[in-house]
Amino acid sequence: MLRMIKVTGESLSPLFHEGDYVLITTIPFMIRKIKPGDTVVFQHPSYGTLIKQVESTALDEGSISVIGTNPDSVDSRRFGPIQREDVVGKVIWHIAMPGR
Amino acid sequence: MIYKFVAALDKRFGFEHAKAHCDVPCGIYDPSSAQIAALTVVRMMDLIADLESKGGDKNAAYQNTLNRYIAVKEEHAEKAKHEIRIIWGDYIKPQHIEKHPNVHDLVHKIMQLGSKSRQTADRETAVQLVEAINQFAEIFWETKGITTKRAKAPYAPALEVVYPVL
Repeated sequence: MLRMIKVTGESLSPLFHEGDYVLITTIPFMIRKIKPGDTVVFQHPSYGTLIKQVESTALDEGSISVIGTNPDSVDSRRFGPIQREDVVGKVIWHIAMPGR
Repeated sequence: MIYKFVAALDKRFGFEHAKAHCDVPCGIYDPSSAQIAALTVVRMMDLIADLESKGGDKNAAYQNTLNRYIAVKEEHAEKAKHEIRIIWGDYIKPQHIEKHPNVHDLVHKIMQLGSKSRQTADRETAVQLVEAINQFAEIFWETKGITTKRAKAPYAPALEVVYPVL
């Protein structure tokens, strides 16, 4: 239902930074409402568990294009769209590391 | 406040990580580049000393050779620093620091020795740089659960180097 995840890497900076925590919902009903601008955690066969922003969704919602806010981000520009069933959850709460 | 609470829970229960991945696939870290660069610095200092000991005219050929040695020394001292900074900044995590609390001081020492190796032709400084990077390599491989051994590099300057036992 809810999972706490720790962010590693900087591809979503300056929104998210290494060491931040995010609470994600894994409730299917909530995940179905994925829309551009949402931040999602998903499984990628090569890169493992990733966190990115949704850039766009296909009309049938079968595939999702994800992107990082950092220009050096590895995302759909590199590996193409992801499948909806690979989405683990959607971020509903961001707990930033203090002092940034 | 909330962050501290969540971080404490993370420490106890170990939350899953999600990578906000950048650039090329990360995870390719190896201190061997820094070790080889540091050995190169020592080698260049030996060649500089050898050139000096030969005496003779300080002609264009001499100047050319000397400057090439110095340029390579500069380049590799900086490279050694760069490689260590990357591992320290991108790979070393709080759990590693907890287990190896001296790692920050060691990295700072490497930075200092690297700079001094650029500023001078003092061989002892460069040898200390090699040894400090060896110690860093031992920490690095330990964090991966890989044992290490020390052996003399099979090429000049034939100093002792830390190798992973794979």
